[in-house]
Amino acid sequence: MTSHAHTAEARPLGIDPPGTVHVSHEHHELGFIRKYIFSTDHKVIGIQFLFTGLVMLLMGGLMAMAIRWQLAFPWKPMPLLGSVLFPETGGVVTPEGYTMLFTMHGTLMIFFVIIPLLTGTFGNYLIPLMIGAPDMAFPRLNMMGYWFWWPGIACILISFGAEGGGPAAGWTSYPPLSTIQSAAPGSHWGQNWWLLSLTFVGVSSMMGAVNYVTTIVKMRAPGMTLFRMPLSIWGLMIAALLQLFALPVLTAASFMQLFDRVFHAGFFTPTGLIINNANPETMGAAAGGHPLLWQHLFWFYSHPAVYILVLPAMGFVSDILAVHGRKPIFGYKPMVFSIAGIAGLGFIVWGHHMFMSGMNPAVGLVFMTATIMIALPSAVKVFNWLGTLWGARIHLTSAMLFAIAFVSMFIIGGLSGIWMASTPVDIYIHDTYIVVAHFHYVVFAGSMMAIFGAIYHWFPKMFGRAMSERLGVIHFVGTFVFTNGVFYMMHQLGLAGLMRRTADPYAYETYAHLQPVNQIISYCAFALLAWQAFFVINFFGSMLWGKRVGRNPWNANSLEWEAPSPPGHGNFDKQLAVYHGPYEYSVPGAARDFVPQTQRTLS
Amino acid sequence: MIVRRPRTAALLAAFALSSALACKLEPDTPELHYSLNRAEIAKNEDLASDPAAQVQLEGALEFLFGTPKAPAFLALPEWLEEDPPFYPSFWGEDHVRADEAAWGRLVESNKKAYREQLEAIRTGNLERVERPRYADDLWARWEEVRGGLPEGGPDAAYSDPFSGEEGTWRQSAAAVFENYYPKLATSAEFYRQQCYHCHGASGGGDGSTSRFLEPRPRDYRRGIFKFTALKGKAHPRHEDLFHVLTEGIYTTAMPSFRRFTDAQLHGLVDYVRLLAVRGEVEGLMASDYTPETGIDFEGLKANYELVMGKWRAAKDAVITYAGPVPEITPERIEHGRTLFMTPGDKGGANCVSCHGTSGRGDGASAFEIDPVTKLQRRVKDDWGNEIQVRDLTRGVFRFGRRPIDLYRRIYAGINGTPMPEHIGFTVTEGGQPHPMSEEDIWDLAFFVRTLGVQAAHEIPHEAGGH
Amino acid sequence: MNSLKHALLRLVVTLLLVAVPVLGVWTWVKAEDWHLWFPETVSTYGAGIDHLFYVIMWMVTVTFVLTEGALVWFVLRYSGRGERRAVYTHGNHTLEMVWTAIPALLLIFVAFSQMKAWSTVKMNFPEDGPYTVEHPLMEVYGSQFDWRVRYPDAQGNFEGADVIEVPYDIYVPEDTPVVLRLKSRDVLHSFFVPKFRLKQDAVPGMNIPVWFEAEEAGDYDLICAELCGWGHYKMAGRVHVLPKDEFERWLADQRAALYRTE
Repeated sequence: MTSHAHTAEARPLGIDPPGTVHVSHEHHELGFIRKYIFSTDHKVIGIQFLFTGLVMLLMGGLMAMAIRWQLAFPWKPMPLLGSVLFPETGGVVTPEGYTMLFTMHGTLMIFFVIIPLLTGTFGNYLIPLMIGAPDMAFPRLNMMGYWFWWPGIACILISFGAEGGGPAAGWTSYPPLSTIQSAAPGSHWGQNWWLLSLTFVGVSSMMGAVNYVTTIVKMRAPGMTLFRMPLSIWGLMIAALLQLFALPVLTAASFMQLFDRVFHAGFFTPTGLIINNANPETMGAAAGGHPLLWQHLFWFYSHPAVYILVLPAMGFVSDILAVHGRKPIFGYKPMVFSIAGIAGLGFIVWGHHMFMSGMNPAVGLVFMTATIMIALPSAVKVFNWLGTLWGARIHLTSAMLFAIAFVSMFIIGGLSGIWMASTPVDIYIHDTYIVVAHFHYVVFAGSMMAIFGAIYHWFPKMFGRAMSERLGVIHFVGTFVFTNGVFYMMHQLGLAGLMRRTADPYAYETYAHLQPVNQIISYCAFALLAWQAFFVINFFGSMLWGKRVGRNPWNANSLEWEAPSPPGHGNFDKQLAVYHGPYEYSVPGAARDFVPQTQRTLS
Repeated sequence: MIVRRPRTAALLAAFALSSALACKLEPDTPELHYSLNRAEIAKNEDLASDPAAQVQLEGALEFLFGTPKAPAFLALPEWLEEDPPFYPSFWGEDHVRADEAAWGRLVESNKKAYREQLEAIRTGNLERVERPRYADDLWARWEEVRGGLPEGGPDAAYSDPFSGEEGTWRQSAAAVFENYYPKLATSAEFYRQQCYHCHGASGGGDGSTSRFLEPRPRDYRRGIFKFTALKGKAHPRHEDLFHVLTEGIYTTAMPSFRRFTDAQLHGLVDYVRLLAVRGEVEGLMASDYTPETGIDFEGLKANYELVMGKWRAAKDAVITYAGPVPEITPERIEHGRTLFMTPGDKGGANCVSCHGTSGRGDGASAFEIDPVTKLQRRVKDDWGNEIQVRDLTRGVFRFGRRPIDLYRRIYAGINGTPMPEHIGFTVTEGGQPHPMSEEDIWDLAFFVRTLGVQAAHEIPHEAGGH
Repeated sequence: MNSLKHALLRLVVTLLLVAVPVLGVWTWVKAEDWHLWFPETVSTYGAGIDHLFYVIMWMVTVTFVLTEGALVWFVLRYSGRGERRAVYTHGNHTLEMVWTAIPALLLIFVAFSQMKAWSTVKMNFPEDGPYTVEHPLMEVYGSQFDWRVRYPDAQGNFEGADVIEVPYDIYVPEDTPVVLRLKSRDVLHSFFVPKFRLKQDAVPGMNIPVWFEAEEAGDYDLICAELCGWGHYKMAGRVHVLPKDEFERWLADQRAALYRTE
């Protein structure tokens, strides 16, 4: 493992050969605990993130089912889940319980599902493999990053059982609702646990982000210039940079809110409030703060966060389209610059969540312009995906189906965003179901489908076995149909005036006629959850009994397919040198329709 | 081809089957149940230790008041013989009908709420008459009238099945909606959707949300309601309860319910009253219980009559004032201030002892030493909750802020709290003790009005407004 | 898989993908028939906002149909089996420039066309009407879970014993630019009147001026549009727009009713 015989032209200046950085190869056998539980191997950690993330997906999904039940059949007892969550009322969702449901749904899905599945699972798994490194730059930090996540999970689970119930101020946790204990039942201890949970999750993410950026910058194989990296890596790296620059603000804001709650600090509490018949100041709380301060700090992180939720997914989709379409990415450099543009612009648009908030309206105009401009790099990416599909030789594998669906769904999510970006139109739209439709299209119909696609695509590498294509296609068809069945009509419902976060939207007589559509949506949602059984069975069944595969079942170019399936410790069993980008598919005159990155010439 | 893959086939079949089953997912309306008032039962050791008697008590209450699904007041025969009948003329629909202004508002409100249905009746497009929400009994009536459409058409002669009056069918059809007044069962379901999560199934103020609220939702079962326009700690009138529903109770979690129709609110008042009467009868039965008498019919009847009699007497207890509000002069305000600020032992009205010298509710009597913990805490109301003496400088007056409202509040006090009745309270002025008169009450009211000059929330007006 | 199954798969996938633009557009076209559309506006600036909505809607619809259509076409056309290879191209510089520049121009156009409507609603408060930012018609405050409105006394004070305070029902005159001061007693709320195309968060600690001019008498829903606790879903109000003289009568009635004794 230590001879580094490279020719001069294969080792561009500044790139260290593998093995130069710290990696210590342990040759003794590790016990079960060190191998699978407290492992420093990025692949194991990636799979740990995968399993945990999928379990949290189920939890978040159950919250969503409860929400959908209440919206379809308000104040009727909910079967199964009802007796678990609301035993006191015989399974009927309570008004305060409903606020807890959507808070936990959002929190779980964003911080415990999508970010861990995108960055935790695939960031960990793919980065060293795709750039030709034996492991991450800081393997122990990597392990700590995963295990720091667990206190976060513990805190959020404990918050369910806190006195007063789980946090109920929305995943956005706006004060004073979140900071004054008596303002909401969930703002008793539940909210404290929520803040602690977010802190742990944030630390875990930052550990990961440091690792990813360092590894990508310092540990690429010889010849792997930045512009020869697959777009998955670009997406992951830029998402990691977003994490690094934005998360500290959320952590700081969470501490400020925690101080407001526990030490009565008053960062966000104005004077003169009367909440639940008491003035917090008479109970020792400091005041003179401003609720909008939280909103600015929170959204300063949470807007880049939504790009963290989507950029890696975009990267994966690009790679899957190229591999299963046997075609180079159309416009690789524009794609890279678009990712960077989205991320960069993503730092100056946070105010579009606050157009109605009472901040200076002139500032709203600035944010509006920046937000509308951010549609541009997203549009460029969509056009380039279409360009990639044009003239391709499409293999309709499960991975490909999900990647194509991502493009289709992202178009919807992106276009609906333009209405919200337009500030005067947002006057009507803000806090209606159009917003819910928009973000579910980008995050669920978009990122989650990309995650499914990525799982189908990289499962063979992770577990050395193939997933069932039949079950995959069935999974895709049902998921696609029911996802659209759930989220598409939310656009029209929102336009009709259905408001977000309302336990009984039909309390307003004017909206009573929206109930039938909501019932159909709920049926689709129940079906959507049930349909994931096909995925679960495929996933675990294939892991145990799937047909074994070789190193490169997809005939793909990027470096991870050079390693065994699954790769062993240290990943690669030969020296790697990279000679070109990862998208040399269907090269005219080449012997095969793919040219791996390690293959010296194109023909 | 799929049959060759049994696992896949089985999965798909399972999915199809469960979907088909799930499609009959329309759930039933859940049933609430009245529960026993544990606190009252605990006061009587004999009853608390006798589960059989408790079951009997539940049965007796069900006999009188029904279940949440089918609530009703049992009408005793002798009541019906009175003229006008004791029951139901002081309750519900008959009572509201007798008040022309209130009935007129109810009809107006029904016309607004059901304007689409009324328009459809007017134009004859009977298929377009849609079922309104929360009004199953209304729909049942409509269907009955609809079924009785005479052959001569909507404008033919028709005998109204409910009022017995002769008119046209169209008039009767419109009257179904215009004159709609909910039955108790409909109001009970409405209560379940709107009120139960705070006020509880039996009106005990113990719903799931209640433990997070300060002040707690009202426990109707004592029959005590704080905010009435009545003297002598009387039970509230129908109008008082209606007032609470339309105005809400400011700075509490009880909002204004004006978004519902007058008819729905009147129906809710009827149902709340049923819960209150039921609770009071339960309390009396619980305290009367002895193992020898058990839960007996005579005792039940006597307590029922007693409680109903108290409610009936409400209308006689209204605090009225002959004439408009007196002229507010600085002298009267000063007189009010003197009465307010002078402690009882110096011959004043003693307001300052609770409300404090600045009116902020921080007087010495606003607090007491808890006999158990020996720590100082706020005084408690009759329901055992700690309460805050009103900070009069905030402009928050939960019953209303008009002069007559303050007058009534000071006159009669607040039921269930340490705020006492002030009419007739002995004060000493110029060495002469005398009971406080109506004019004295006005002076106090005028003074208190000058205190509430701050807005309920202190926000300085910022220049520029942003 | 055999070619029959593959053809079936291709068909299913194409149908699913084509359903997106087809059903997507169809459900928008039918939305108004299904009563899933925004209500008519009755405020002076509402029409401008609706116009912007429609401009964006047309742009979005065309883009949607073209891109989804291209996606469907490409997937159908290029998913056939056979020995051919894909077209080997890394991109096209000219195309990149074109499809960057055109959307950029369209987006800039969209951004700039919004500015006037926004400043009309949020920044240009009426100055020569009967109500101004300094002397609003009323103060509206949100609290958990009620809207309350306060009309000044005859001297124009908003504090004092003679103010008119009403829950739930907000009365305003027709055809008059109305300015109100929005406040909150406890947590964030949001004052949303759909038919006015008006929304403004009520922030505790702030006095936020809000204006509108209603052109049609009637009763309009007021909805809370910012999570304020468990009762957020039912925090309703009604805005009653009355003809000017009726409004004056109403206000005078309210002032008189203050001193009645029944």
